[in-house]
Amino acid sequence: LGTRNFLTLENTSREELREVLDLARAHAEGSLGHPLAGKTVCLAFFEASTRTAVSFELSARRCGADVISLSEKGSAIAKGESLIDTVVTLDRLGADAIVLRHPATGAATLAARHTGAAVINAGDGCGQHPTQALLDLYSLSGAVGGFDELAGRRVAIVGDILHSRVARSVIPAFRAAGVEVALVAPRTLLPLDAGAWGLPILSSVDEALDWGAGVLYMLRLQRERMTGARVPSVAEYARFYGVARRHLDRGALVMHPGPVNRGVEISGDVVLDGYSLIPDQVAAGTHVRSAVLALATGAAHEVAA
Amino acid sequence: VIGRPAELVIRHAHILDPSAGIDAVTDVRISSGRIAEVGEGLRGTRALDADGLHLFPGFVDVHAHWRTPGREDEEDIESGSSSAAAGGFTSVVMMPNTDPVVDKPVVVSGLVRRIERESRVRAYVSAALHMGLAGERLTEMRLMKEAGAFCVSDDGLGTQTAGVLRNGMLYAKTTGLPVILHCEDHTLATGVVHDGVAAALAGLPGTPASAEDAATATALVLAAETGAKVHITHVSTALSAALVGFFKERADVTADTTPHHLTLTDALISTLDGMYRVNPPLRSEEDRGGVTGALRDGTLDFVATDHAPHASEEKELPLQEAAPGFLGHETAFPALYTELVLSGRISLSRLVEAMSCAPGRWVNGGGNVVVGAPADLALVDLSEEWTVERESLSSRSFNSPYLGRRLTGRVAGTIVGGEMVYDRIGARLGARS
Repeated sequence: LGTRNFLTLENTSREELREVLDLARAHAEGSLGHPLAGKTVCLAFFEASTRTAVSFELSARRCGADVISLSEKGSAIAKGESLIDTVVTLDRLGADAIVLRHPATGAATLAARHTGAAVINAGDGCGQHPTQALLDLYSLSGAVGGFDELAGRRVAIVGDILHSRVARSVIPAFRAAGVEVALVAPRTLLPLDAGAWGLPILSSVDEALDWGAGVLYMLRLQRERMTGARVPSVAEYARFYGVARRHLDRGALVMHPGPVNRGVEISGDVVLDGYSLIPDQVAAGTHVRSAVLALATGAAHEVAA
Repeated sequence: VIGRPAELVIRHAHILDPSAGIDAVTDVRISSGRIAEVGEGLRGTRALDADGLHLFPGFVDVHAHWRTPGREDEEDIESGSSSAAAGGFTSVVMMPNTDPVVDKPVVVSGLVRRIERESRVRAYVSAALHMGLAGERLTEMRLMKEAGAFCVSDDGLGTQTAGVLRNGMLYAKTTGLPVILHCEDHTLATGVVHDGVAAALAGLPGTPASAEDAATATALVLAAETGAKVHITHVSTALSAALVGFFKERADVTADTTPHHLTLTDALISTLDGMYRVNPPLRSEEDRGGVTGALRDGTLDFVATDHAPHASEEKELPLQEAAPGFLGHETAFPALYTELVLSGRISLSRLVEAMSCAPGRWVNGGGNVVVGAPADLALVDLSEEWTVERESLSSRSFNSPYLGRRLTGRVAGTIVGGEMVYDRIGARLGARS
């Protein structure tokens, strides 16, 4: 059976999402075994990452794969090797799947053109971060009582949508699952054509709650965005685009892809509150990434057969 | 009668309100600070005989420097608002280039409280578009709006980087505040007077019209792209006015020009008198004609004075060393009436539209003599001739470019919210039944 890339969720379907989430649940229940036994998974991280890299490595090992980790430091990448040459090298070394994190949008798509191995996009620039959105759906499904319970729920994505690969995967994936999505950001943190997704644009967390958001999906505000060019101050940002304890009175759940800026997008006393799904999101990571690796390498179908 | 201010009936004034379509000698009754009735033979507990006077909606000035905080020796809220009232202005927007700059919520709320106590007219706070007006970091516009800011502006310095201006417009749009822009490219504006014949002959460093035109074009392009509500202030060149016209259908944009750019030219530079330094500089006769035509046809929406008081030690200097800026409130209407209306360049009706109705709509939806509207009114004697003298000015400063000039038309009384805040006809006011 062939391999399958996970590059983008732009055109994903409800059925595809259900397939991944069902498989992730099977992995969580321990019924998947070691589907990647005999497979080689290469982690190629061209950009700093903690939880995504660790989560993928743990998933691959638990599924029985041989794992090769490349990081920018201490590899040929540091010597100036091009993305394509690195990918071709990994291909010829026999990688079955390449997990790629890269600072440039479109890197995973480019890599996929130069290898027969499955390419899993672990984050490309401001482009896509498919496994993040899948694990978000997994943890939210768990919190609301199942995948089918997602339909009709309202999720507000709050923060730096302009620079967010997480948002660009979460928006289409959540919509495919039947979720109603709104975007909450100042115009300086939205694309000029903020209507590109055809979604409501709101301008504060309070407005999002008035709109009926049951979930506040908070994005990380990068430190380099806090210098006044697009956001005047942390105080003003936190006031309008941060979630505070007072917002929890209305029962909304809080999600965040991490790492959290405490006191910026989420006040310190909310991060680990009962309404926060943030720890669940991290826990969901290995199950979802195991499922993605199994589907990408064709191993899931071999197990099923 | 419990706690209600007495009614006032103004009798026999010639009411002119082009927006409301009123142009007739009739009466107006004011009650509880609002216009209660307009028509013949009205009665009230107090009456004011205004025979021979015109009654306009109060003038509205979106551009004034009341030098508070920081230079209260030049003007403060009490003196600035007295000057505004003496000029027939009932609403004024205060610019943020003070010391400190109005770039923090606490400065805004402090000004709002002082306005409530000290201002004779309605006054609105324009906050700074960027911190310190340095053109780098955006201000806390949303927190300043909550503190009472009415709009944001870069007045006095402009915004020298298009990227900062664009983000400022986008952020202001999110905040829901209009943006007043001072369009000036500092890489071009290196002189002290208009770069024209007078500068050439006098040997003074010139600031070319392109310094304004290039910055205006940039601002208009960005306004069109971002969809922000933008007002271009003190347009002084024919080309900038034409650019505004081009973008009227393409952007949410309005623009003003000043009484001095409509009535004076750079010919005054030959006096070498520091009094005549202003920014943007007095332009050529061709530009003066261009902005006059643009005001007449509505391309330029209204007049704003850029009232800019300066201490005498800052003006009584060689032109190159003098501070730029003129007083504006008290001479605005008389100068424009004398120079533009009496000379037939513009109609009285268009002048009232440009000083009252249009800026009134922009600021607070007011600017009309209609039942239910706040009673903000200017009573004007169009026949009075007077000479502008230091003693005749209510401002704390004296830097009027019209000093010594004989003007026709003078404000006789100003009413804000039904209260007489400026009164040169007090003798006529009495209790009658």
